[in-house]
Parts: sequence; C-alpha cells; structure tokens
Amino acid sequence: MPSATNQDLIDQWKNEPAPLLPLLHAFHNRDGYLSDDALRAVADGLKTPLADLYGTVTFYHHFSRTPGGLEAPRVCTGNICCMRGGNEILETLKAQGQAATEMPCSGRCDAPIPVLTGHTTLSGETAADLKPTPSPLPVPNPGDIEECLFSNIRKDGNNTLAGYQANGGFSALASVLKDDPTAITDTISASKLAGRGGAGFPTGLKWKAVADCDRHPKSIVCNADEGEPGCFKDRALMDYDPFALIEGMIIAAFATGAPRGFIYLRYEYPETNALLEKCLAEAREAGLLGNNILDSGFEFQLYVRRGAGAYICGEEGSLLNSLEGKHPFPRNKPPFPVTHGFEDKPTAVNNVETLCAVPHIVNKGAEWYQSLGLGDHVGTKLISLSGDILRPGNYEVPFGLPLKTLLYHWAGGPKDGRTIQAVTMAGLSGGFLGHQILEDLTLDDPCIKSHGSFLGAGGIMVFDDTRDMVKAAHDAMAFFAHESCGKCFPCRIGTQRLTERLNGDASELSLADWTNEVNDIGEAMKATSACGLGMAAPFVTESLLKYFPEQVAQATS
Amino acid sequence: MINDPNSVIAAQLSITIDGQQTSFTEGETIYQVSKRLEKNIPTLCYDDRLDAFGGCRLCVVEVEGIRNPVASCTTQANDGMVVKTAPPHIEKMRKTLLEMVASENRQIDVDPLRGLASQELSTLVNKYGARSGRFAGRKSGTTNLQDLNPFILRDYEQCISCYRCVRVCAEQEGDYAITVANRGFETQITAEFGNDLRDSDCTFCGQCVQTCPTGALADKKAIRHEELPEKIKKTRTVCPYCAVGCSIDLMTKGDKIVGAQPAMDGPANKGALCIKGQFTYDFIQHEDRLKKPLMKQPDGSFKEVEWNEALTAAARGFADARAKYGRHSIFGIASGRAPHEAAYTMQKFIRASFGTHHIDNCSRA
Repeated sequence: MPSATNQDLIDQWKNEPAPLLPLLHAFHNRDGYLSDDALRAVADGLKTPLADLYGTVTFYHHFSRTPGGLEAPRVCTGNICCMRGGNEILETLKAQGQAATEMPCSGRCDAPIPVLTGHTTLSGETAADLKPTPSPLPVPNPGDIEECLFSNIRKDGNNTLAGYQANGGFSALASVLKDDPTAITDTISASKLAGRGGAGFPTGLKWKAVADCDRHPKSIVCNADEGEPGCFKDRALMDYDPFALIEGMIIAAFATGAPRGFIYLRYEYPETNALLEKCLAEAREAGLLGNNILDSGFEFQLYVRRGAGAYICGEEGSLLNSLEGKHPFPRNKPPFPVTHGFEDKPTAVNNVETLCAVPHIVNKGAEWYQSLGLGDHVGTKLISLSGDILRPGNYEVPFGLPLKTLLYHWAGGPKDGRTIQAVTMAGLSGGFLGHQILEDLTLDDPCIKSHGSFLGAGGIMVFDDTRDMVKAAHDAMAFFAHESCGKCFPCRIGTQRLTERLNGDASELSLADWTNEVNDIGEAMKATSACGLGMAAPFVTESLLKYFPEQVAQATS
Repeated sequence: MINDPNSVIAAQLSITIDGQQTSFTEGETIYQVSKRLEKNIPTLCYDDRLDAFGGCRLCVVEVEGIRNPVASCTTQANDGMVVKTAPPHIEKMRKTLLEMVASENRQIDVDPLRGLASQELSTLVNKYGARSGRFAGRKSGTTNLQDLNPFILRDYEQCISCYRCVRVCAEQEGDYAITVANRGFETQITAEFGNDLRDSDCTFCGQCVQTCPTGALADKKAIRHEELPEKIKKTRTVCPYCAVGCSIDLMTKGDKIVGAQPAMDGPANKGALCIKGQFTYDFIQHEDRLKKPLMKQPDGSFKEVEWNEALTAAARGFADARAKYGRHSIFGIASGRAPHEAAYTMQKFIRASFGTHHIDNCSRA
C-alpha cells in the first residue's frame, strides 16, 4: 500500500481538535523523522509560521530531525537507570554501531532498564538481553489494606471493555447521568479528593470553578504526561485500568459541562498510547462516548494526544500550550485554566490518578473514600518506589502510612547487608530526605512538608549506603537542566550552574564560597522562577547540604 | 467605562505601592502602576509594546499576603493590594539574577551604536554591582557570523534569552521570521532550519536589533563607526522615505551620520521602522549624491548647472511636448515619499498647468 501523501495526512488532521501534535506524529511515523519538507507541509497545511513550527519541534526531545531517528534506540539514563547500568547499555549499543541516544527517565523504574525504539519498549539488565517487556503490574497489596485505585487492577481482562464492565465498570457513570451535575461535584468535594499530580488542589473545587464559568466550550484535560523521574503510577493505571480513567473523565465532563476532553499522554508510553486509542474506539462503539452517552442526551468527545518528550509539558500551562500547538512555555497565572484553559476556555486539568479515583468514590461514597486514610488523613495515594530496594513497584498506600512500613515491610527493605542512606520525595522535585529522619516519617503532606519537602506525584527513589549522594544530586540537577524550558532566567541559568557545581570536580571556590553560590542560586530560583520546575529544583541542593554536608565537602575540595 | 480613569468605579480601585496609595484602572499591571509612580523596577524582558512575558523575573515585587514574590509585569493590580517594590531580600535576589545573567555572556559592555536598548544589561549590572564574577560557568548562545546579511549582526554569545526579538518580530511586525529553538540553557534564536535571515521571512526592519537589551543583535552599518572618537549625538527628525512620517533619531559623530534609531515616542510610528528608515540613510553622505542639477548635453554627457537654468529647461521641455503632442501626452506620477500636501500640489500642477487628468501616485504601482 502506498504511504499517505502529505496532503492525505494534512486532510486527516487539520479539522480535528488540537491537530498539531498528531499531525507531526503522523509525519514522524510515516518518514521515521521530521524532514524539512514535512515541516514545510505542516506549516502550510495548518497555516502556522514555519519558523515558529521549527522552534516548537526542536523543543521536544523525541521528535527526530534526522533520518532513522524514530527507530534509533533511546536508552533510559534517569537517576535509577544510571545506578543500574543504563549508561553501559548506551555505550554497548553505540559500540555496535547503533545510533543510540539517551533519554530522561521513561517511567519503567520497576522493570529492567528500558530502551525505546520506534513504538516498542524493550528492557533488560544488559544490552544483550533487551526484549519487548510488558508494563509491570502492581503486586497485591502487601499490607492487606483496602485499596481504591488498585482494587480491580489485577483482575484478568480489566483493561478490556467487557472485563471492566464485568468488574462493575461504568455503573458509576450510569448513576451519575441520572443525577444533577452539581450532585456529583458535591460528592467529590465531600470526599476531599485532591490533585494527585502533586499540587493537591481540591478536585471538587476545581470542577465547581469550571462548572460556574459561563464560557463555552469547556474541556477536561487529563494530565498523563507523567514525566517526573521515578514516577510510573499513571502508567500502571492506564495500562491495567484504562476504562476507569475514561469513566472518570466522562463523569468530570458531566459535572463541569464539558463537551470535549483530551488525554495528554507522554511520548515514552507507546504501548499505552495504542491501548488508549483502542479503548476509546471500544467506548465510542458502545455508546459510552459520543453525542448521546448511554441515551442520556449528554455529549462528550474524548481524544488522546501524544506528547513528544518534554518534562515541562506536565506543567499545566505548558501542557495546554503544547496541546494547542504553541511553544510549550508555562503560562503566566492568573488567569488559571479553570477560567482560561484550552483555547482560552474553562478547563479542568486533572491527573490520571485523580480521575481514576472518581468512579470508585461515586460507587462507594465520599465517606468510604475518606475512611481509607489512616488517622485524620483522607484517602489513598499511589507511590512509585524504585532504586535500592528489594521490591520496587507501585503501591497504593493509605495517607499517613509510616514510610518504614512501606520500605521494609511492603517492599522488603534494602538489599542484603545494605542500609538506606536517603530517599527522594516527589520523584526528584522534593529533593532528598536523609536516613537521619526516615524513622518517624509518615506518608502525608503535613509530615513531609514539616521536613521541607513534599509528597508530590508520589515517586520515591531509594539510595543505599553505597551511593555517592553528590553524584545522585548531580544526576537529578542535570535532569532539571535538560528539561528547563528556557522561559525564565532563574531556572534556565540556575539549573545549569547548579549542575556544573555538582559535577564532582574539585571546585576552585572555597567550600564557604561554593555553598554561598549554591544557596544564593537556590534562593533566587525558589522565589522567582516562573513555574514549579525552577522552584523545586533547588530542593535537591538544599537537602544535599542539609543531610550530607561531609560528602559535599569531600566532593568539592 | 471601567477603563475611564475619571469614572467613579475606577476611582475606587486603589493600590498601595511602597507606602504610596494610588488609583488604577482595571487591567493595569503592578509594573504599569509602579512605572507611573516612577518606581524604576528593573527588567530585561519588558518592552511596553509587547505582551508582558515574565521571563527575566527581575521585576518581582513583594505583595502582602502572597508567599512568593510575583512578577509585576504579568500580575494585574488588585483593589487593596499592598506592594513593596524593593525590599532588601528582593534587591538581593535581583543582584543574584543579574550576576547569573552576567555569567552567561562573553561581555557585558557593548558599544551603544549596537542598538537603542543595548545598554540595558550593563546599566542594571552596574546599578546592582553585579560585576562580581560569581556563578562562572558555560556561556550560552552561539554567535552566527556566517549570516552575511548587510544589516543585522547576530552575536548570540551576548544573548540572554529574553526573546524580545522573537516577540517583536511576531507581535509588532507579524513576520514570524525568527524563533526560539531548543530549550533551557541550549535555547538559540534562529530562523527556520538555522537559515540565514536572507532566506527567511525577515524584512530587515531592525526592530529586533533595537529592542535587544544586550547588543546581541546589532546594527552592522552603525557599528562600522565604533572607532570614531566623537560622542554620539542624536537628532530627532522624520524619515524621508515615505509619507508615513516615522520619527527617527539620527545619530551623528561629528559631522558624520552613523546611524538611525526609531523614536519610541514618534506619533506616527511609536518605535516602529522599516528597512528603509532603519538602515538606508547612507545616501545622505554618499559621494555619488547629487548636490546640484545636472543637464544632459547634446553629446550625452551631463553638465552641472544652477537651479534656474535647469528649471527653465524643464519647463521648456514640458511646453514643447504639449505643443507638439497635445496636453494628454503628459503624465504626472507623484512620489510615494511626498506628504499629502505635496501630492495635492502635484495633481494641481498637472491638471491646472497642462490641462490633463493624467496623474497618479507611485504607491499604486
């Protein structure tokens, strides 16, 4: 079959909502890279300035501009993969003559080292045993605690429509559609569900703000850009409970009055992309999406839009710009997306985990959801655990669970003969928490914030006593420097300068001057950066100096 | 009505800046109100003709009740807001930010002939004592000396990624000739595919040069005269090229014209210029420029004559043509450079003197 012409591709996409990314992917997939001619055709087809388009394309890590780029292996060299041989695989593949390059954490820290080639995730301990590997499924809850999000995830066939429905799926939607839209928002508010992407904004309040805004059409956007290193919980949810996300989004749409929705999915989850497309087709076929959902008269169209490799696109303003085909810089706030979101119209941007919780809360009630937390804490949180720990993986924990219960009882503790030196919080964004304080820590924001960090999206990386913490901090900061968008000065320059200061080379500065420079950069970044990336990155250096001053002194002298 | 400063509603909106209470109109930013109070908040990414961008973060101010400082350029004033524009901890962070910016450039001081805004960085670095050499590290930006266009120097080692050039090109000119490629410390201003400006949509209006706060973009023609010892003198005048009447500041060193800069307060152009007003002033002092009329001699050569003789000959030529070929043999074309009054006079001249309606303007060509 002859491949599609430029015009075929443009005609296929130009009248679709949020067309730029899928159109670029269509060319990228057809040609294996984005040629100059492809960019000219896209600019012409979408009537967008060519220079603008060129700049935007070069922003994304995974859009290749050289022939063969799509298929060239990209090896994860995230923090965790660096510790277990990612760089060695990269060097081996290069020595074999392959055009291998590195990529930031691709969200497979619970499997051997991932290598992305084309639309397939390979993984292996060494270059020799790389093979296609399915997304790891969370193990049964080791604490035997009642789950919410993972309650159906291990059931066979749950990621098919029939299987999901057999597990009670879409019963929440059916009951919601019979009710008043404000009733569901009230239920979600009463459950105290809050943004599980890390910001913790009350979900019910967000939906109400969108519902109350009289500007149309509104949108529901699912932030499935899960780019935070060491976070891979959304991947598990979408791979094994995709219809919960779809059901949650339809309910959110009904609650807010949004006729359209988008799942903005990170590039690094190609298998998930294919699965979601299949699920959406099944749901449309079954009348669960479309013009008249379950004969209720309610209309909702849902689309998947695949990102192209940019951590910053997990920031909601950048995400919306990316979706709209603009340069993915963060937006200035206010105004917030609830009034001025996708295409400047009211938009609820919710994380995968938040939306997946919605059908469970509808089915079992707000009080039930609240009761899942320990003590005064409400609900559950997915934790992605990785690094120097016997059983890395995704765990659903009740808020308030002692960290040591998770680390030692659930996940088996450190490897034999080792002790835990530090863990990260919020993937990398919360910096490190040293062994000095781990004993009494509980997994809830009041406790973690009292130590100057935050739970965020729930990624926890473990570093045992063999690890060089300055090197770990360097790799973390190098990630932030690689992903800094370049919009604001403190982040663009600060992440670069901090990375340089952590490179392990003896500094020409005295330790006092070194520390002053690092602290001054950190202070300016935290206070003046335009978005959360630049505000969070200095947690890495701050916590390094707080818990491991002797390692800093040794590395810089 | 809400934007009318005299309206009752507007008068009720008030903000306190550094202890000084003032009214504002809805939609105004903290930066705009502060500027009216002559607060002199520092910034490097701001150009009041462009949408506020919020990139440099130097303009952050403290707002009572908000934990982190806010960028005053992108934050709208709210009724009852209490703002401090320069508390010590914010001044300290401004210095840090300026030291960081200074650390990524090859040089801070550039010749003012480079462009209108070219001294902004060095002025702020001096004001804040940020020439400390702290935060040393890699420099950003790659200077593009391969671009052989005759007008715009692209010295990106001086670039601080404020994107004023990209924004003025898009927002003011609508050309979208340049863009931000890559991200983070690797950002680079470029045309598509790294092309030379000549192969892009650039019209060489020079707006990017004049808004650049570091001299990374420079007027190539003006900096030929960097070595002339005299001080730059600016003389406000009007661009001679067309009838729009753009105000320019003609720069001279001694009796030599060394460049032109747009006047931000020019009533017709508000800082805008086109390639002609910006870069093509050379004719004024060009050696080939005619200073007296030349009259063609029977042997084809030209002879310098006085105005009377030249005008007499021209009048005779018109009269002869009319007598010989009729009044409609004459066709007048008014110059697009002529203002309204001159164009009117021209058509009057053609219609009244020759009795023909064969009159047009070159702008229609």
